[in-house]
Amino acid sequence: MQETLQTLVGGLSLGAVYALVAMGFSLVYRTMGLVNFAHADIAMIGAYAASTFYLTHRLPFAVAMVVAIAVTAAIGLVIERVLRPLENKDFDLMLIGTIGFGIVLQAVAILIWGTTGRAVRSPLPAAPLDLFGVRVRTYDLLVMAVAALAVLGLAWFLARTKRGAAMQAVAMDHEAATAVGIDVGRSNALAFSIGAGLAALAGGLVGPMLYVDASLGGALGIKGFAAAMLGGFGSIPGAVVGGLAIGVLDSYAAGHFQGYSVLVTFLVFTAAIMIRPMGVFGERTVSRA
Amino acid sequence: MKFRAATLGALAVAAWLLPYGLGSYSIHVVNIALIYALLAIGMGLAMGVSGQINLAQVAFFGVGAYTLAILTTDRGYGFWAAAVVAVLATVATGLFVGVPALRMQSHYLGIVTLGLALGFINWITNASVTGGADGISGIPLPTLPGIDLSSEYLYYYLELVVCALGLGFGLFVVRTSLGRRLRAMRDDSLAAGAMGAEIPLLRMTAFLLASLYGGLAGVLYAGLIRYVAPETFSIGNMFILLAMVIIGGRRSLVGCVVGAIGLTLVREWLSDFSTYAQLGYGVVVVLMVVFAPTGLAGIPSRAKEFVNRRRHGHGRRAEADDRARLRPFQPYEAVERPSSTAEPLLDIRSVTKDFRGLRALDDVSLTVAPGEIRGIVGPNGSGKTTLFNVISGFYRATSGQVRFAGRTTTTARPYTLSLLGVARTFQNLRLFGQLTVRENILVALDRTRTHTIWQYALWQPGVVRRERRLRRRAQELLERFGLADFAESAPGSLPYGIQRRIEIARAMAARPRLLLLDEPAAGLNGEEVGQLAGIVRSIRDSGTTVVLIEHNMGLVMSLCERVTVLSGGGVIAEGTPAEVVAAPEVIEAYLGDSALADVPRPQPVPAPAPAPAPAPEPPGGSPPPASPPSASKEASR
Repeated sequence: MQETLQTLVGGLSLGAVYALVAMGFSLVYRTMGLVNFAHADIAMIGAYAASTFYLTHRLPFAVAMVVAIAVTAAIGLVIERVLRPLENKDFDLMLIGTIGFGIVLQAVAILIWGTTGRAVRSPLPAAPLDLFGVRVRTYDLLVMAVAALAVLGLAWFLARTKRGAAMQAVAMDHEAATAVGIDVGRSNALAFSIGAGLAALAGGLVGPMLYVDASLGGALGIKGFAAAMLGGFGSIPGAVVGGLAIGVLDSYAAGHFQGYSVLVTFLVFTAAIMIRPMGVFGERTVSRA
Repeated sequence: MKFRAATLGALAVAAWLLPYGLGSYSIHVVNIALIYALLAIGMGLAMGVSGQINLAQVAFFGVGAYTLAILTTDRGYGFWAAAVVAVLATVATGLFVGVPALRMQSHYLGIVTLGLALGFINWITNASVTGGADGISGIPLPTLPGIDLSSEYLYYYLELVVCALGLGFGLFVVRTSLGRRLRAMRDDSLAAGAMGAEIPLLRMTAFLLASLYGGLAGVLYAGLIRYVAPETFSIGNMFILLAMVIIGGRRSLVGCVVGAIGLTLVREWLSDFSTYAQLGYGVVVVLMVVFAPTGLAGIPSRAKEFVNRRRHGHGRRAEADDRARLRPFQPYEAVERPSSTAEPLLDIRSVTKDFRGLRALDDVSLTVAPGEIRGIVGPNGSGKTTLFNVISGFYRATSGQVRFAGRTTTTARPYTLSLLGVARTFQNLRLFGQLTVRENILVALDRTRTHTIWQYALWQPGVVRRERRLRRRAQELLERFGLADFAESAPGSLPYGIQRRIEIARAMAARPRLLLLDEPAAGLNGEEVGQLAGIVRSIRDSGTTVVLIEHNMGLVMSLCERVTVLSGGGVIAEGTPAEVVAAPEVIEAYLGDSALADVPRPQPVPAPAPAPAPAPEPPGGSPPPASPPSASKEASR
């Protein structure tokens, strides 16, 4: 029981990070119908940038994070601008285009930061808390708290602000949105940069939990993606539920299958998505042909 | 043709002589390039030809190589015996990875296949049978009588032969029946299903082909390097492979080969600057998708188009119009009409269809006798297209029963219905955009089942013979519908009226017993509507029963023997055109209650006039205008 709870807690903190990644995916997908395969690499750049500002420039962790988010948001704007001609046209080409950007970002990361990774020390050095016999790292609590704030902030933005409402309108029907005077291009750019910012937040937060190197994006991205699918592509609550589910699944697989955890995680994921392709909160998108 | 043969010959000679001009390291690089070429062909077949996003190709490569390595080093198999098992194991893996494609497409499929590839990499890095991160060394040399394959020069010839056969087979598949169906599925899987293509089997076939090439590449790789380790099968290499396919041109297998060989050589050439090289091909991939989505292979035709446009000012269409024109339809030979007492061909019994809260069809019953032309009319949103979708298997009725030709088909899939003899057209045209008009017709003409693809493996002449037969019939059909001049055009480049006629020709290519026409006159001008009426009558006279949805009342009145009126998802009237337009319920549905009060009781209309237009209109007001195809959302629901 204790062990189970311990695994659960470990899974939830990683799950919170996956949820942030999934949220970024989902936001971009629902607004512009683009599946951003470069998202994972943006998260990796975010992780590197945050760790650089934090370790090398000795900025406070929170400030380093904000700077990293700004940097990646700018990268997001560039990607959106370049791929804009393909928007709402050829889905597969856009997908491959973002994979191309992912390759570029990885190369850039290696050029700037080299091939050796780095360990990031936790900004909260306090000893783990003991809750009913389960050891909880304080940093894990911080991650979950920040992720929860980000979810609430995004939900508020989409529901309560004019720009957020415009973004929802574009998501539903981009032609109708144009007709009522919404600048679809600008709205998409904003969505993309927010998505990139969320990726950087996830990357920055995961830095002290994992080892930061150029392959970080791959690990984080594919699971974030899986989380988005499991929850239902395009759904914000789905991203949260999916993220936590993948985190916990991952954590159990690591505990029980050690080296084969990735294989087990993806086999379970594939089975789950076969049973319910639209995810927990998703709309029906599967054709019956 | 001669030029092509000469180029092919020159290329073959050059490939044969190549090793004489290369150093021992260069030949090694070329050998690697050929292996990537095989992988790229497999990837092109799945992604470019069949539209199945497959990011597990590198895992197929790995399964082939690792199976061979384990069988030869651990189990004592000979190289070739192990090679056969390795390819079979890869194909089995491919079919497993392809299973999710039955339920999801596009990016969903991309993620799942990528995830499974990651799982495979994770397994080979950790399992003891695969040697973990160290991999497996000591794979024995493949032996061929009289040829010493330890020489990379001679190994080159082995690879060259396999590659040439692989490319030849791939091109053979793409250009004949199977490949045409795969491409049709890529362009529009719904329409392909309605033409009798067994979509689930075809999706599996795409993965089967991809994994076959992956397995072959894996075997050749293990025989060449004689050592396998996880880093060869990394996700990074998967994306390089993707870059090869995109840069070369995913829809052209030759393009894939060029991309693979080119990128391998460039990568080798820039191996001292590998990070910059990575940056470079990342940028090239992005530029390619934005500016040249058809890759290197597509550049010649794009250039030609550009030059043509320059030369002719108004572009190709104007040029094509000079020479090509739509010729008159040549009627079918009439057959004797079956007696009307026969069993109904289509029998719909209290069908209801719900979409979440919305009831699109409410207890609809309808019977259509063989040899009838039945009109279905009703205001927008009354459930007409939903009814077609239920009949043709796109939707499953929530309750009720559909019977076609004496069989219950309520739950049948579109391809089953197509093979049983139901054909349809679509309200907003669903032609296969990347296929020529002739190929569009050929897809529907081809009535063979997917399981006959065993012929591709064992009896290719059978495929060729069938192909010849199909092409002859396609030519007849094109001439009958007056489309012969446009046979090689892309449907999207033709005027709307011609596209509508192509769709009818395509539906008739399946030689259906029941033809469902969804607003065939939408967007046609008066003359074209007249031609349409003639075509539909001739189709009926040839023994095919026709059901058509139409807003053009003139056409319905003149053409149909019986008309069914839908409103709000239910049948509100049925009878001859004259009876229907006189029914108060119909007038109410079209004009509303208050209008009825002011309109005097309509007089019965005389028997339908033979001329299609002008035709009697429903009294009490003009019919609803024929809706432009883009304005109507019915089909997309």
